[in-house]
Amino acid sequence: MIEVKNLSKFYGHVRAVDNISFTVAEGDVVGFLGPNGAGKTTTIRILTCYQPATSGSATVAGHDVFKESLKVRTEVGYLPENVPLYPEMRTREYLRFRGKLRGLDRPEREAAIARVTERCWLGDVIDRPIGQLSKGYRQRIGLADALLHNPRVLILDEPTVGLDPAQIRETRALIRELANEHTVMLSSHNLAEVEATCRKLVIINRGAIVAAGTPDELRQRITGGSKLIAELRGPNEQVAAGIRELNGVSDVHTEAREGWTRVTITSAKDLRESIYTMSTQKGWPLRELRREVATLEDFFVKIVAAAREETVTPKV
Amino acid sequence: MRNTAAIMQRELLSLFCSPVAYIVLMGFLIATGVIAWVTSAFEPGAPATLRTVFTGTMFVLVIFVPAISMRTISEEYRSGTFESLMTAPVSDFQLVLGKYLATMVFYLIMIAGTLVYPIMMMIFGSPSLGVAFSGYLGLIAVGSAFMAVGIFASSLTRNQIVAWILGTIPLVLLVLFGQFFVQFFEGRLRSFFQSLNIVRRFDQFNRGLISSEDVVFFLGVTVLFLFLAVKVVESRRWR
Ligand SMILES: Nc1ncnc2c1ncn2[C@@H]1O[C@H](COP(=O)(O)OP(=O)(O)O)[C@@H](O)[C@H]1O
Ligand SMILES: [Mg+2]
Repeated sequence: MIEVKNLSKFYGHVRAVDNISFTVAEGDVVGFLGPNGAGKTTTIRILTCYQPATSGSATVAGHDVFKESLKVRTEVGYLPENVPLYPEMRTREYLRFRGKLRGLDRPEREAAIARVTERCWLGDVIDRPIGQLSKGYRQRIGLADALLHNPRVLILDEPTVGLDPAQIRETRALIRELANEHTVMLSSHNLAEVEATCRKLVIINRGAIVAAGTPDELRQRITGGSKLIAELRGPNEQVAAGIRELNGVSDVHTEAREGWTRVTITSAKDLRESIYTMSTQKGWPLRELRREVATLEDFFVKIVAAAREETVTPKV
Repeated sequence: MRNTAAIMQRELLSLFCSPVAYIVLMGFLIATGVIAWVTSAFEPGAPATLRTVFTGTMFVLVIFVPAISMRTISEEYRSGTFESLMTAPVSDFQLVLGKYLATMVFYLIMIAGTLVYPIMMMIFGSPSLGVAFSGYLGLIAVGSAFMAVGIFASSLTRNQIVAWILGTIPLVLLVLFGQFFVQFFEGRLRSFFQSLNIVRRFDQFNRGLISSEDVVFFLGVTVLFLFLAVKVVESRRWR
C-alpha cells in the first residue's frame, strides 16, 4: 500500500532522510519509530505530498506521490504532527469544511460527520469553538478529519504526543480499532506506544532505517539470540571446553573469580538444562544460572542515547 | 470549483471572526467620511459628483486593502493549517482563488458602506447615476488589482504585519510613480510609468469613461499577481 524506494531529502545541506526503503502492505499497522529529529515527519510529509523528495520514489495506494499527487491525497487520511486547526471555527463547521474539500456532497458529508463524531467521541464539543478545546479534543478532531472520507490509508504523525495517560490509552485503543479497517502508518518516539498499537516496526535514526520487521523478528535480529550467564566451581579451561561442546553455542566468554568460573554464553537456544546436567555430571557446583533476553527497549534506548550524544558533541 | 467555494466561505467566516475586519470597516468608513467633509462634496452649490470623494478613497485603499488580504495566506503558514490544506486534494490555484474571492466579497461589503453618499446626493440634488455607476466600477477594478497585490504579499510571509507592509509598499510606489515621479523620467521609461498611472486610469472611471484599456489593465494586474501568488505557494512546499 505504501512503497518507498531509496528516498532522500535534503534541507539545504542537512540530510533529513537518507536513502530509505520500506513497504507497508495492505492491512498492515506499521509503527515508524525513532528519536526526535530522526526524519519521521520529513518522510511522512513526502508520503502525504506536502513536500517533494530530493531523490528516490514513493507510491501510496499505487500512485506516485509526486506525479499523481491529487490521487494520493484522496486516498490518504493524514493527522499532522501538531494538529493544525482553525481556532475560530466550531468543530462541526471545521468538519463540514474538510468534508467539502474531500468532495463529499451534503448528505454524504453529514453522514460522515455523524460517523466520525461517534467514533472519536466528539459529541460533547461538536458545536464548540475549537480554540476553547483541550489538546485531547484537538487530537480527536484531527483524527476525525483524517477519517472523514473513509480513506484506505491512514498516516498519523505522533498521534498521542502531548496527551495525558488516560487520553493516550483511549487513542491507542481507537488506533487498534481503526487498524481493522484501514492500512495504518503511525510515527512515534515511544517504543511502548508502537508495541501497543502496531504489528510491524520500522526504526529510523538520523535519517536512515536501522531495523524493520515484527517485534519478535527484531528481537531475534538485534541480539542474534539470547545470553546465558552461569557461575560454576571448576577449572577455567575445562569448564569453557565443556560448554563449547554443548549444542547451539556460538560464543563463550569465561572469567575466573576466586575459584569460581563465570561464563557468558551467546546462544540461539535456551541451554539452562544442559548446563545444569553438566554441572551435576562433572561435579562442578553451580551458584548462578540465568538467561538474559534482550529487549527492544535496550536496543532502542541505545539508539536514542547515541543520537543524543551526537547532538551534544557534534562530529567535526 | 467546490474547493474554491469552500475555501472562500471558510475565509469569510474567519475574516468576520477577527477584530481586524471590523477595525478596517470602521476605519474605512471614517476615512471616507472625513474625505467627503474635507472636500466639501456636500456643500450647497457644489457640483453633484463624487469624483473628489472617490479619488480620495482610492488613496485610502492603498492602506486598507492590504489590511484585508494580509492574513489570508500568512495565517495558514503560521498556524500550520497550510499543511492540512495542501495534503487534502486542493490545488494551489484553488487556494489562492478562494482567498481572493473571499477578500473581494469583504471589499464589496466595505465599499457598499459608501453608497450613502450617492443616496444623499440623490436626495439633495440630481447626480448622474451613470457616472456614479462608472465610479463604483472603477473602485472595484482598483480594489481587485490592489487585493491581488495584497494576496501575493500574504503568500510571501508567515507574519501578517509583514504581509501588510509588503502589500502597501508597492501600492504606494505605484500611485506615486504614475502621478509624481514620472516627470523625472524620459522616453520609453516615462511612457512605461505613465501607463502605470493608476490615478489617471481611475479618474477615467470617475468621469464616467469606461475604456476597455483601463479594464484590461486592472484585470491584468489582478491576474498577474494571483498567478505570482500561486507560484509562491507552490514553491513554499519545495523547500
Ligand atoms: N523545514 C526544515 N528545514 C530545515 N531542516 C529541517 C526542516 N524540517 C526538519 N528539518 C531537520 O530534519 C531533521 C529531521 O526532522 P524531522 O523529520 O522533523 O524529525 P522527526 O519527525 O523524526 O522528529 C532534523 O534534523 C530537523 O532539524
Ligand atoms: Mg516529527
